[in-house]
Amino acid sequence: METKLIDYTKFSLKPAEEIHEIVDRVENIFILSCAKCYQLFEREAGEDYFTLLGLLGEDTKKIAGHAQIDFLCNNILSEKAISSLDLSGCSAVGVISCGLGIQFVAHLLEGKPVYAMADSVPQSANSTSGIGYHGISLEQEKCAACGQCYLNATGGICPMIDCAKGLLNGPCGGARDGKCEVDPSLDCAWVKIYERIGNRGEQLTLGDTRIHDYSKPALQLKNDLSTLNNKLRNEGFYGGLHPLEEKQQTEHLAIEKFPEPEEVVIFLSQHTGKKASPMVQPGDYVRVGQKIAGADGFISASIHSSVSGKVVSIEERIHPVLQRRELAVVIENDRENSLDSHCKPNSDFKKLSVKSLLDIVRESGIVGLGGAMFPTQVKLAPPKKVDTLLVNGCECEPFLNGDNRIMIERPQDIIIGIGLLKKILGVNRTIIGVENNKADAITSFKGVLKNSAVELLRLNTKYPQGAEKMLIKKILGREVPSGGLPFDVGVIVSNVGTILAVYDAVVQGIPLYKRVITVSGEDMSRPGNYLVKIGTPLKEIIQYCFDGDIEDIFTKYDLKMGGPMMGIIQTSLDSSVIKGTSGLTLLKRSPVQLSEDNDCIKCGRCVDVCPMELHPHYYAFYGKKAELGRADDYNVMDCIECRSCEYICSAKLPLMSFIKREKEYARSTVKN
Amino acid sequence: MLVVQLKTEDELRLKIADNKVFIIECLGCQDVYFPNKEVDEYIRSLEKQVIARVRLDYLCNRDYASAYIKAYDKQIQKAQIVLVISCGVGMQVISSLLDHKIVYTCCDTLYLNGFQGLSAQPFDCYQCGECYLNYTGGVCPLTNCPKELINGPCGGARDGKCEVNPDADCAWAVIYERLYKLNKLDIVKKILKPRDHSRIISQSLSRERIKR
Amino acid sequence: MSFSEKLREKNFIVTAEVGPPKGVNINRILDEAELLKGKVDAFNVTDLQSSVMRLGSLAVSHLLQERGMEAIFQMTCRDRNRLSLQSDLLNAYVLGIRNVLALTGDHPSLGDHPNAKSVFDLDSVSLLQVASNLMDGRDMNGNELDGKPDFCLGAVVNPGADPYELQLLKMQKKIDCGAKFIQTQAIFDLEKFGEFMNQAQRFGVPILGGIIILKSAGMAKFMNENIAGISVPEKYIERMIQIAREDRPKVAVEIANELVEGMKTLCQGVHIMALGWERYVPDLLEASALI
Repeated sequence: METKLIDYTKFSLKPAEEIHEIVDRVENIFILSCAKCYQLFEREAGEDYFTLLGLLGEDTKKIAGHAQIDFLCNNILSEKAISSLDLSGCSAVGVISCGLGIQFVAHLLEGKPVYAMADSVPQSANSTSGIGYHGISLEQEKCAACGQCYLNATGGICPMIDCAKGLLNGPCGGARDGKCEVDPSLDCAWVKIYERIGNRGEQLTLGDTRIHDYSKPALQLKNDLSTLNNKLRNEGFYGGLHPLEEKQQTEHLAIEKFPEPEEVVIFLSQHTGKKASPMVQPGDYVRVGQKIAGADGFISASIHSSVSGKVVSIEERIHPVLQRRELAVVIENDRENSLDSHCKPNSDFKKLSVKSLLDIVRESGIVGLGGAMFPTQVKLAPPKKVDTLLVNGCECEPFLNGDNRIMIERPQDIIIGIGLLKKILGVNRTIIGVENNKADAITSFKGVLKNSAVELLRLNTKYPQGAEKMLIKKILGREVPSGGLPFDVGVIVSNVGTILAVYDAVVQGIPLYKRVITVSGEDMSRPGNYLVKIGTPLKEIIQYCFDGDIEDIFTKYDLKMGGPMMGIIQTSLDSSVIKGTSGLTLLKRSPVQLSEDNDCIKCGRCVDVCPMELHPHYYAFYGKKAELGRADDYNVMDCIECRSCEYICSAKLPLMSFIKREKEYARSTVKN
Repeated sequence: MLVVQLKTEDELRLKIADNKVFIIECLGCQDVYFPNKEVDEYIRSLEKQVIARVRLDYLCNRDYASAYIKAYDKQIQKAQIVLVISCGVGMQVISSLLDHKIVYTCCDTLYLNGFQGLSAQPFDCYQCGECYLNYTGGVCPLTNCPKELINGPCGGARDGKCEVNPDADCAWAVIYERLYKLNKLDIVKKILKPRDHSRIISQSLSRERIKR
Repeated sequence: MSFSEKLREKNFIVTAEVGPPKGVNINRILDEAELLKGKVDAFNVTDLQSSVMRLGSLAVSHLLQERGMEAIFQMTCRDRNRLSLQSDLLNAYVLGIRNVLALTGDHPSLGDHPNAKSVFDLDSVSLLQVASNLMDGRDMNGNELDGKPDFCLGAVVNPGADPYELQLLKMQKKIDCGAKFIQTQAIFDLEKFGEFMNQAQRFGVPILGGIIILKSAGMAKFMNENIAGISVPEKYIERMIQIAREDRPKVAVEIANELVEGMKTLCQGVHIMALGWERYVPDLLEASALI
């Protein structure tokens, strides 16, 4: 389809005389140029700087240096970028950007002469209001943001924008053949309005006499809201966003035991690191809690049966996270729930040594239940000394309530679990972070925390606050270095579910073979927070929770394991629940799908939301050109894959696909 | 960027009356500023009039808006009125795609400082096309002065605060401070010519159109 | 009889136009107006027509009144905000002016100060409403006035616009807001004008058809290209091309006369825009048996 898009370039280099006037005045000058926004992202380097060089001729010797900055007006990131430049030697700074960037730099470098090297370019074509704002697109429609919308009286055509005189009560007499007297290439707005109303079978009545209120919107309101927004968005950690929380569907539903599955499909890879080695064969009889696969190597975990019954096979099934065929132990459930003899409570758990505790954790197959599935016994023995344990009660994904419910229903057990981790790690400080959309959980903890050294912090909800690096930044103000891990800044972060699993293992003697998952989403007939056995096939869960046509699950919907943000789209109901499954979320497929063929329009939203302060639009830029390896220049390995960029992308580019491809490439390439 | 406020109930009731409505809500810029509570309350108050409420994003993109409308075609047909909850851009796009249908907006649109992304900026730019920042030490006299004065302050400031917005600094007081620090007060003596408003037409109407 | 009374009593009204100079030498225009004194019912004074900076309509309207000629003070919304528009209405009244024609106004880009900021705080409809408010003794925000003005208010319509239904809709609004007479843009197509008048008659307000005295084919072409709201058909341009220079005024008056005759059966009067050929207006009036 041929679409006419508009290049909304915000600035162009000042005329040559003005440029010379500036450069003649200074001894030397450092040039900062903005890479521009709201145009098709077709080249990396802006042309303005080269045009400037051409203009200056031999005066280019006065240029002390140059830096191109993406979205110069993004004050938080630009400040960091500019601070890293050495401007001490230059007597002046020249800025090639729109008015926003120039004002920002002048403010930042107060005391140093800062010169505008560019003029802003008017956007609106409306000479009365002078201003017209485009949307998050390169389409031609603009809005005057006048705070008193007339569109309901004009059939959806804006008289402020489309009428050169901004007339509100019908046309002037100047139109000729339906074209505007000011610019004959434009239609007369009122003729368009008349026709649009006619098309709807309505009569244009022109209604009451309209007189514009120029006191709206108040200048002060605009400035106040802007300052507030700028502050709030960077609270705690940079960026992030607020998708609709959708917690109300299951937040009040108590944890319910999911009906016994007919069989369980237990994957050998349910953790970071090498997959476990099977210790059983088809035909073997196993009990609940019996070890059926052993950890292979240092970073690995053991796996236990979640039912009692006969091992049917060890076969390949579609792994829910890896989305490829992987080996799984299939066990038929005899529904007896015969418990393995090793599973015995420890009444004197308080006397256990750190080493014993770590052995239990290892033997119990506990991994990070927040989703990363990192073997907990390794995490709790960090190579560096740590001083703080952060307990992650954020559950920042929409829809999910598993962690919420365990905090409401088992706070005491969690506190004991925290005590165990505190002992293992030898930390002084333990802090629980809970987002403020979980009022009940906070109340529940407060009830058991009297006289406890454990601190409880209520955090303003923002996705992805539950990601460890974000949580550390928010609570402690510490930044994990690029390529580093939390222990590099003296912290260990652990999910509440994991801590509860440690309690269950140490105090109740139960290894990890079941967990709470939230089944929810759109059109889910029986949503809930279910305690399910590891290995429960997705088919059984869907049959129990969804009354619709099962065929639709993979056609009309996306079934995600996890939440809508980071959840993995499932492709087979033969997959099953693994240790890292936080939930199953059913989402209606949008009429608009992501596509690599779409064009990035440099709207800057991805840069605004990336909590790791990256520039995701470059991943799209190189990804679309299939130039692997360039994204590493933009720190793609720091990406935590929270999917904020893809969620907010106005061009609907599949940023996660580009990122994952880049990371795979980087990992597979040997670097010297 | 553009943000919205809900129109008054009286204004909305006048337009919508008892008609059956199909509601399209745009989530694209929700993260900037959005009156979530008021919108939910208002939609609840419409009760049985609501045929469906769909939450989509970036209605300002014609391709998406087109696909959304196609997908919800049957429900839209059942409605007498299509209600749009979005800024003026999204509303205009939907209106033009449904040009035979009665489409109303529930919102008035406001503007927050800044052109890109989700974060509002501490500064604003009126896109005048003839940047004055070199004469003011980088403080914009148009966006910071309600009278948009370019040759120095009016006589109304009190204690360095603006006569129009007493919470705001007088722009020229700030400019003076800035130039003083830069030791460039002599710039203020220059008489600046009045704005050339014709640039708004000449520079934006000739804007390059990209064909895809 | 005042212009307002004539609108009620007379069968066929005739108004002419005075265009102020770009400067302060007013003698010529006042002398030209004198030629028509007693022959036309009132004189429109244009307000910075075509957005060219010139002497304002307020001063010239007052000067006409002083010389015993009734002025119709044209006010556009291009240059003044609602404060000064209201104030200028009060100014006009105390300076003896009793008739106001409210217009939107040409855009600055058409004139000799294209870089000016255009105001358009009000438009012709709201200006009429505002004038009506003042006549009721209140400003547009409801504040009481110390003494109230009284005017005969008028508005403009372009019957040549397409679709003209839109002009009719706006015309209704103007009448609702207080317009007591309508003057149209220049008419050249009597048939089309007839169609328009079929619809417009029911509004019950006197309508004066606009007449332009064409000076030359060149002028016609220039107006077609540059003057908003005017469209001269080919057939008249042809007639002007074929004749010798000295015959132009005669043919110009002939053409204008044909149009005036046509209007006698269609509307309540004519508004003559001589655009520099004010001295030929008496000939036109004679030829049309209007004097």
